[in-house]
Amino acid sequence: LSADQLISYLTWCIFLVLFAVTMRNALREPLDTYRHLALLFGAPALIIVIGLAAQFGLVRPGPLPNAINSALLLTIAYRMVRLVDDFVSAPRWLLRASLVLLVALAAGGFVFAPPRPPWFALAQLVYFAGLQFYAAVAFVRGAMRSVGVTRRRMRAVALGSLLLGLTVVAVTLRPQAGWLQQVSELCGLGAGLSFFLGVAPPLGLRRSWQEPELRQFLAGLGRVSRLEDPQEVIEALEHGAARALGTAQAQFGVWDDARQVLDFSRDGLPFEVQPGSSGAAWRAFETQRPHYRFYRPSDWSGGPELITRWPRIVLAAPVTAGDVRYGVLAVYARQAPIITKEDLELVGLLAGQVATVLETRRLIDSLALAQGRAAAARLKDDFLSAAAHDLKTPLTTVLGQAQRLERRMRGDAQAAAYLPGMSLIVRDAERLRRIVLDLLDAARAERGQLLGAREPVDLGELAREVVVRYDTPRHRCTVDVEGELVGSFDRARIKQLLEHLLDNAVCYSPDGGAVRVSIRRSNGVAELAVADQGIGIAPGDMPQLFERFFRGSNVDDRRYAGMGLSLFICRAIAEQHGGRIWADSTLGAGSTFFVTLPLQGERALHATA
Amino acid sequence: MPQPETILVVDDDPDILQTVVDILADEGYAVVSASNGAEALDMLARVSPAVIVLDMRMPVMDGWQFVQALPPSQRATPIIVMTAAQDARQWAREVGAAGYVAKPFDLLELLDMVARQLAGR
Repeated sequence: LSADQLISYLTWCIFLVLFAVTMRNALREPLDTYRHLALLFGAPALIIVIGLAAQFGLVRPGPLPNAINSALLLTIAYRMVRLVDDFVSAPRWLLRASLVLLVALAAGGFVFAPPRPPWFALAQLVYFAGLQFYAAVAFVRGAMRSVGVTRRRMRAVALGSLLLGLTVVAVTLRPQAGWLQQVSELCGLGAGLSFFLGVAPPLGLRRSWQEPELRQFLAGLGRVSRLEDPQEVIEALEHGAARALGTAQAQFGVWDDARQVLDFSRDGLPFEVQPGSSGAAWRAFETQRPHYRFYRPSDWSGGPELITRWPRIVLAAPVTAGDVRYGVLAVYARQAPIITKEDLELVGLLAGQVATVLETRRLIDSLALAQGRAAAARLKDDFLSAAAHDLKTPLTTVLGQAQRLERRMRGDAQAAAYLPGMSLIVRDAERLRRIVLDLLDAARAERGQLLGAREPVDLGELAREVVVRYDTPRHRCTVDVEGELVGSFDRARIKQLLEHLLDNAVCYSPDGGAVRVSIRRSNGVAELAVADQGIGIAPGDMPQLFERFFRGSNVDDRRYAGMGLSLFICRAIAEQHGGRIWADSTLGAGSTFFVTLPLQGERALHATA
Repeated sequence: MPQPETILVVDDDPDILQTVVDILADEGYAVVSASNGAEALDMLARVSPAVIVLDMRMPVMDGWQFVQALPPSQRATPIIVMTAAQDARQWAREVGAAGYVAKPFDLLELLDMVARQLAGR
């Protein structure tokens, strides 16, 4: 077995495998491009089979096999032009002319018995080599317009065409110089390898050819999520995914929850995929797994046109992060072999990355929104605090002088006529003070800074001290305390809590009525209840009762002045002491407010037990 | 008629200072005033008040510095801290005051506090 023979056998093997692979694809998927590829590589396969048959003496050399051989060879050239048309597009006239010439030259092979006239042999050579070189140039130009793995594959096919043309030239000129024999064999082997890599690259090679663009896509992801415009984010992701797969087209279909469609519309061109569609996009979204589909031109007749006109293959994968279904990433190609279903896994991975970017983007946006809201709330609180604080100084003078003058008028018979007016000034200055202090307390409550130093406080004693000030003939206020209830509290704040509840009880009982305060021990905590017989609280108001600035729906703002802060402050005092507050009420019959507060000693008791 | 008790009022806000002076004068106290700690120290060279009503945040010399600089003869004089700050109680403790009133205060609250300090001497 000589080296020459080895090269020949190797070349034959490669072309036979190429035929087998393309034939398998053509049988599996009834697509024009696959059929064209199978026909292209069927011709060399047949030549090889005839050659092998001749070697084993099954076919006797003669004019007929010779004519068939040259006809098949010419077919390869014609098929290359068809392939150019499939991938890059060839002029109509060239396709027609090359078909006519093919028939003429192939027929000539049967008419002229060897040795054929030199002009005829030259015409065959020019036809074959010319079309091969044309194909080589066309694929080089196609490669320049393509990206990634497709560019590399087209270059390989271009090289294959060039080498196949050179092979035939060398074979034809072989009698002129001996070394051309080696050239033709090496060119044949090179052509076979190039076609193999271009048309049916092994998966590993495809992957490594995809890698640079994939790497670029992944490297750019961090930047993409920070782009200003969400539309830009999507376009950058589509562009990156398309490049990584070596196709010019990838589109992200956004799931529109309101309309229940996958929206692929771009630049004013509407395209929507409805639920139940048989396309790859909907199936991928519905099953949440990657799907592919081949299309024939007839599949699109009357249907909506994609931005990508009439794709022959669509690979689609769900873009989902956690529970959030953003939509579908669809990758298209006009020619089926550019992307294959082996790329489905890759599309799935890319879609996963797209989902991550969109999720990041969503989180960035919601975080910015939350921060903005928090900043606005802080600004409001800061403003209220500063304003309230600045009001304190003038209010000190107003209240102090008003009380002083009122006191003097009481002792002066001549000033008696002015006393009611003075009393009004005093009363409203006191109201103003209440508002200012409540605003400050509410702002502190919001920041969780309401409590000062704690000390042991006997709740019963404190309650008796406060309640006695509220006891009037109109509102009988009583206290009922069970035993000694001592806890570690901010005394002033607990007092404020009691005062707020008693103020409310009295204020919202315009027709008088008893106010009963009771304090008892219950499950290791002090349970304080303030019950009145007032106007009550509407059931619908209960959930918001302790919210800031909330006022009851049955409360007339002009009759019961207030800002809706006192219960908010009460809740903060109770909760910051580790307690709870709630209310129970019957509209028109009265309300009871309950507060629980942890007691001293209970914890120590449990700790030792 | 016994000599009226002298009360020193220290506050940098002239309106508040006037108001407190008026209220205490109406009650029959002898009132002297100062608008910051340094002025108050000067005043102490001439009078020996029975009670000092003291604002805390003031220019030139604040309440803390004033208490630090008190002459030995005045160290026992009861001080009533009078402030608009949330930490009134804490500050009163810091300077060893006898009590505090939070601005805006009630007239009776102030008078009651002063009377208690005088009674407790």
